[in-house]
Amino acid sequence: MIFSKKAKKEIDIWIDKYPEGRQSSAVMEALKIVQAENENSLSTEVIAAVADYLDMSNIEVAEVATFYENYNHKLVGKHTIRICHNISCMLNGADDLVVYLEEKLGVKTGQVTKDGLINVKKVECLGACVGSPMFQIGHKYYENLTKKKIDKILVELK
Amino acid sequence: MANINIEINGNVVKAKIGEMLISVTDREGISVPRFCYHKKLSVVASCRMCLVDVEGIPKPQPACSTPINEGMKIYTNNQKSKASQKAVMEFLLINHPLDCPICDQGGECELQDVAMSYGSDISHFAEGKRTVADSDISALIYTDMTRCIHCTRCVRFGSEIGGIMEMGGTGRGEDLKIETFLRESITSELSGNMIDICPVGALTSKPFRYELRAWQMSAIANVARHDLVGSNIFTQTYKTKVKRIVAKDNDSINETWISDRDRFSYEGLAHENRLLKPQIKINGKWEEVQWDEALEFSIRGLVNSTFNMSDGSKLGAFASNTATLEEFYLLQKILREIGSENVDYRLNVRDLDNVIDLESNIKLTGLDGIDYALVVGSNLRLEQPMINHRLRKAVLAGASIDVINAMAFDFNYRLNSENIVSPNQILLLLAEILKSVLESSYAEIPKYLSKVKVGDIAKCMADDLLDADNSVIILGEHIINNLQAASIAKLISKIAVQTNSTTLNISATSNSIAAAMVNFIPGQGGLNANAMLEADLRSYILLDVYPQYDFHNSAQAIKTLSKENTFVISMNSFKDKDVTQYSDVMLPIASFYETSGSHVNIEGVIQSFVAASNGPGESKPAWKVLKVLADLLKLPGFGYINSAQITNDISNHRYKQKVDNKEINITIKRGVSVIWQKSPYAIDVLTRHASALHATKIGLMHRASMNKATAINENIKAGDKYLGVPVVITESVSNNCIFVNTNQLTGSKL
Repeated sequence: MIFSKKAKKEIDIWIDKYPEGRQSSAVMEALKIVQAENENSLSTEVIAAVADYLDMSNIEVAEVATFYENYNHKLVGKHTIRICHNISCMLNGADDLVVYLEEKLGVKTGQVTKDGLINVKKVECLGACVGSPMFQIGHKYYENLTKKKIDKILVELK
Repeated sequence: MANINIEINGNVVKAKIGEMLISVTDREGISVPRFCYHKKLSVVASCRMCLVDVEGIPKPQPACSTPINEGMKIYTNNQKSKASQKAVMEFLLINHPLDCPICDQGGECELQDVAMSYGSDISHFAEGKRTVADSDISALIYTDMTRCIHCTRCVRFGSEIGGIMEMGGTGRGEDLKIETFLRESITSELSGNMIDICPVGALTSKPFRYELRAWQMSAIANVARHDLVGSNIFTQTYKTKVKRIVAKDNDSINETWISDRDRFSYEGLAHENRLLKPQIKINGKWEEVQWDEALEFSIRGLVNSTFNMSDGSKLGAFASNTATLEEFYLLQKILREIGSENVDYRLNVRDLDNVIDLESNIKLTGLDGIDYALVVGSNLRLEQPMINHRLRKAVLAGASIDVINAMAFDFNYRLNSENIVSPNQILLLLAEILKSVLESSYAEIPKYLSKVKVGDIAKCMADDLLDADNSVIILGEHIINNLQAASIAKLISKIAVQTNSTTLNISATSNSIAAAMVNFIPGQGGLNANAMLEADLRSYILLDVYPQYDFHNSAQAIKTLSKENTFVISMNSFKDKDVTQYSDVMLPIASFYETSGSHVNIEGVIQSFVAASNGPGESKPAWKVLKVLADLLKLPGFGYINSAQITNDISNHRYKQKVDNKEINITIKRGVSVIWQKSPYAIDVLTRHASALHATKIGLMHRASMNKATAINENIKAGDKYLGVPVVITESVSNNCIFVNTNQLTGSKL
């Protein structure tokens, strides 16, 4: 599925927020909505469909979709662990945690576990330096991580 | 805008308030380095190369985006400016490879030049440089994206000039890449300009790759002859061969842009199919001979076939519309001296009693300033790219454009309305517009309009025409074989008069206007192209004609020319199967850029050019061949030493076209109309031999489009072939119309 009726309706709400002829301003929300419908990733077909719907050129949408971290371009798992590796987290051992996660899940960053449940992505600062090291799953932040804590979180992911 | 005084490097300079600093320094000849700034593109100030010191502002300012003001004091080359320019240059070179020796841009590279003048000889950076994978973006442009410095000129060219954003910057930070969305996705008809504006060697010409260095070639100003604009170009030659063509600035003609057709057609010049030696046919066998022998043979043939009957009118001449003004003039002069009025260049017109007679009365620069245009029967983008570019500029400035076409085309700007009308209904729609215009101005309605009912669509367009201060009606080449072409042209001219509009007749392209200027059409008692093919003439002179592609009725043409007892002199630049079959003499002539001559553009401006190179083999410029033929025939008045003398002669004789007083006839014709359009990359013999152009999306277009209803009526299915062209069923075509796009693979077979 590329584009459901429901998705179109949701995008239209965003288009209506902008003056007429400025529908391209809704591109970020549109990509988010359509990504959720397409296994959480944006293929070239999906990007072309969004471009078509918003009357933009394909490459313009691709520019936005490749600029921001929250759009995915490869297959991803049900849950994406977005682990920060910027300076504060790094100083507090984020790199070790990435290695730990990779060993524990049996996949490298950018790959998806065999059961299709989890993938790990290294991201830039998520603004939670006070609780570093940290990662984000869905909308939730997990801070002051330790290996023990990670074990517990992974068990709870279904 | 008020004039103000500013001070640059201690000198007082006059400028207009609000101008950007860089345009003032450019005008004054003060050098300020830049990469992202281009005078015809929007300002982004992203490369920071043009930083200069402005007194009173602590940090250096980018000259491209600093508006000037009264009393400003600017220093472009003090310590502060120089230091910042040097620093920016160092940053730009962090990732730029040092591969100038193997880079095609070497020697004409802005980065190289600026690095020499403004850069430093050492860098603080020893880290590895980043590399970027290349992608195949088009058959015309080669990419080496590792060399890209992200100035985004190509990206802005796409969205601002090309009208389709095809290049873009994906990724961010260190991963930013300039690329297309998919492979081979550049489709613009102006794409080659990206090569010109790329300041580094990231985008270079594919056909020219690894050929030569810029300094090895000599550049000669020239004029491209593939359309009605006559874009100004530089032909760059090496050892008398044209190796590359680049744009030459001329704001009143082509600004800084040229179409891909003008840029890449030169490839055909070096094609193996060139005709290299004069040949004569003796007892059915071809023999290569010297020029004098071939010419004598020609004269003997002409005398035997025509003069012995002391009747010059048994001789006819055809010329292709790519000939130069001087060639048209000499050929018609020879025939008229002999006593024949049988000359014609309108070879692709089915019915020469039903021709378009409409003058163009708008300047190219005037097109930028229109506020309304009505386009009838044209796929402007492909047919006249530079005219389309000017209309696009007008649209961006607020003009609205209505189109009446037999099929929906890609326009690279927003249309007010696109009316897809069956070819047989176009006349009626125009009649409605005229009636509506007359009614609105309370003028008398002529009899032929009495039965016409004005519909809503026509009313809208009529009102738009009346409301506009500055409107133009454009008549395109799809109308040329319309059953009601003459009436359509007359209606347009009446609508234009009534609404105070200008008109632009682009129905015949290349150098057709030059042919009309020297009256290369039959006069009193003469036969037109079609009549010549039906009449029993004894001899013909053909100037660069390729019957399979050039004649509307090519089968008839080949049949007539092949008749026994007809003597055919063919002057050709390329070999051709049909020409070999029917000719008695083949004289090799110089092609584009190999002869001096003139092009006449849509404004009637005569642009003369010199030969950039010699023709290959023994080929000679056609004007010289014609002059010698005339001398050998002992005709008076051919004592020309160079082509400029001929041009002078022509400027003294202006011919007036005969006025055709036939009534407008509003009757509805029935049946299916076929519009046969040649690919822009197969319109003349040179483009038909330019292989890189053929590999582009536009060059590959080879299809006969029709809608479902027409297909059912004509008993054609998708996947069939229509006269050798694959059929595509699409509802973008009007009813009762088959729109055939052919390329170099297919000649006319109607």
